[in-house]
Amino acid sequence: MTLRPAAVFHAADLALLRCASLLVPARQRGEWWREWRSELWHVRQACTPAHGILWTAEQEVMLFCLGAFQDALCLRAQLGRKPIPHATTMGSAAQCVLFLAGLIAISYGVALLLPGVSLVRHFQRYRDAPNLTLIQDARYHGDSTPTISREQYQSWKRRRQDLFDDFAFYRVTRESIADAGHTMAPGTIAVASPNLFAVLGLPIRFATSGTDARGSMSHLILSDATWKKEFGKDPHIAGRVLQLGSNPVVVGGVAPEGSWRLPGKVDGWLLVPDDKGNGDGQGFVVAHLKSSSERAWGQNWRMTAPNQDGVMADYSCVSLAERTRGPRDLFLFAVFLACLALPATTSLPLGEYRVSSQKLLWSKRLRRWGFLGCKIALLLPIVYFVSLDLAYLHTPLNLSTSENLQIAFAFPLCLFGLRWVLRDQRQRCPVCLRRLTHPARVGEPSRNFLAWSGTELICVAGHGLLHIPEIETSWFGTQRWLYLDPSWDVLFADPGLASASYF
Amino acid sequence: MAAEAKLSHTAAMILQAVNAGYVYGFSVMEMTGLPSGTVYPAMRRLERDGLIRSQWEQQSIADAEQRPPRKYYKLTRAGKLTLEASRRRYPLLGKLIPSEEVEAL
Repeated sequence: MTLRPAAVFHAADLALLRCASLLVPARQRGEWWREWRSELWHVRQACTPAHGILWTAEQEVMLFCLGAFQDALCLRAQLGRKPIPHATTMGSAAQCVLFLAGLIAISYGVALLLPGVSLVRHFQRYRDAPNLTLIQDARYHGDSTPTISREQYQSWKRRRQDLFDDFAFYRVTRESIADAGHTMAPGTIAVASPNLFAVLGLPIRFATSGTDARGSMSHLILSDATWKKEFGKDPHIAGRVLQLGSNPVVVGGVAPEGSWRLPGKVDGWLLVPDDKGNGDGQGFVVAHLKSSSERAWGQNWRMTAPNQDGVMADYSCVSLAERTRGPRDLFLFAVFLACLALPATTSLPLGEYRVSSQKLLWSKRLRRWGFLGCKIALLLPIVYFVSLDLAYLHTPLNLSTSENLQIAFAFPLCLFGLRWVLRDQRQRCPVCLRRLTHPARVGEPSRNFLAWSGTELICVAGHGLLHIPEIETSWFGTQRWLYLDPSWDVLFADPGLASASYF
Repeated sequence: MAAEAKLSHTAAMILQAVNAGYVYGFSVMEMTGLPSGTVYPAMRRLERDGLIRSQWEQQSIADAEQRPPRKYYKLTRAGKLTLEASRRRYPLLGKLIPSEEVEAL
């Protein structure tokens, strides 16, 4: 069997055409391949001699086959370009809403991953925070310094009180904790009066009456972090006897996650009866105002009271309502500030739409306002979660720093977010809500007295033109929308987008 | 497509060639001297715009002549109107490709 040279060339040409056909989109590949193969037969018939090989003829056939690659590339360029559909779908209202929803999902997903955010989101408020007061010596500034002695606390508690109905005391110390011979790293322990959690109104998890059977041992309430880290979330932790320093203590339960908002970062609370004495040193006093008192005491006020020696001294009282604000309160405060600052960064009106002989359908107007409301509603959760993510990204930061960071991030995010919402709304077609495109400069500022100068944008669906003045004048102060009637539809690429009955 | 649509000179040549009876891609190439990488995409565009239409030859005819069936092209009504407009725009078009109306196809 001998291989004819013409058959070899034909096979090579077919292979070239096959390769070229692979560049054609699959939907049209069969048709192109069929036509090329058919044409190749005729090209070969027309160009090559009936017998033998003619190199110039084979080159001509080869050029035809190479042209198929240009066909395919040209076709791909035509299909890939599609400028008009892209322009008409770009910046649609649905695309904008989906983008914002995507941002919410991402920021919420990050919030779920960050332990600091989880802690603050599950923060449990104190039962009667407005009536809870942290009392401190007025001579000291800041609330991180312990200023009240145990004797002072006990003297207040013994006296008859007109203002307060309960007091609790704690002082912060460092002690090592040992469990069954295993000594853990020294932790910060708040040696507190037994009523501390009752005054704060905080529930204690896993607390059982059985722990009282341990007799004279003091109860240790573990923080949620210590319980998770050192005891592996043991649900039967209550009642276990631990060694705190040199004294045995019994675990009385676990404090709720993120509940401690008083001065001092604490790993556990040792509840020691007042008559046992809980050591020397300065501490903090939390008092509960009598609910019968009609007077509103505010967030921060001063009182004069006798100290343990009977000498009158000044004390500052700070409401715990301020210390126990949740992230939502801070966020709402930042939103309020942003709303106040917004008019300074952008104009609030959405432009003039009066240049229309007929009124826009009420459903279109409703849809436009609904879209604005939807954007604001989607923006707020984004700002909330992003500010939380940024503020609590680094968990070792203390709570007040993180709260300050949350406000510092939430305010600009909300301000510039609202600014974007308004600016975006102004640059959308009031009929189809698509972003306006193709900005063009019109006029010259030097001829501002003769004609307006500024930027003209167009709706790709042909609903109208937006004129934005470059220099505000008494006759052209704000942007104007010029409706185009359906007779203009012929100029626009996709007539399906232009609604002939939007008026 | 409006009858007054303006065509490029290449597209007008292809339209003139098809009108003149060169109804296959390869014959249009031969007549106009345009390469294959130009002619076939241009014919596709003309077909997309409704100026020409294509049709595959019957298999029985191709079998009788022992060759693959060919795809041939024909001007539509809109194509004829556009070609008339193009002839006014390119007066030498008729001289480059003399029109010998082939109605048999």
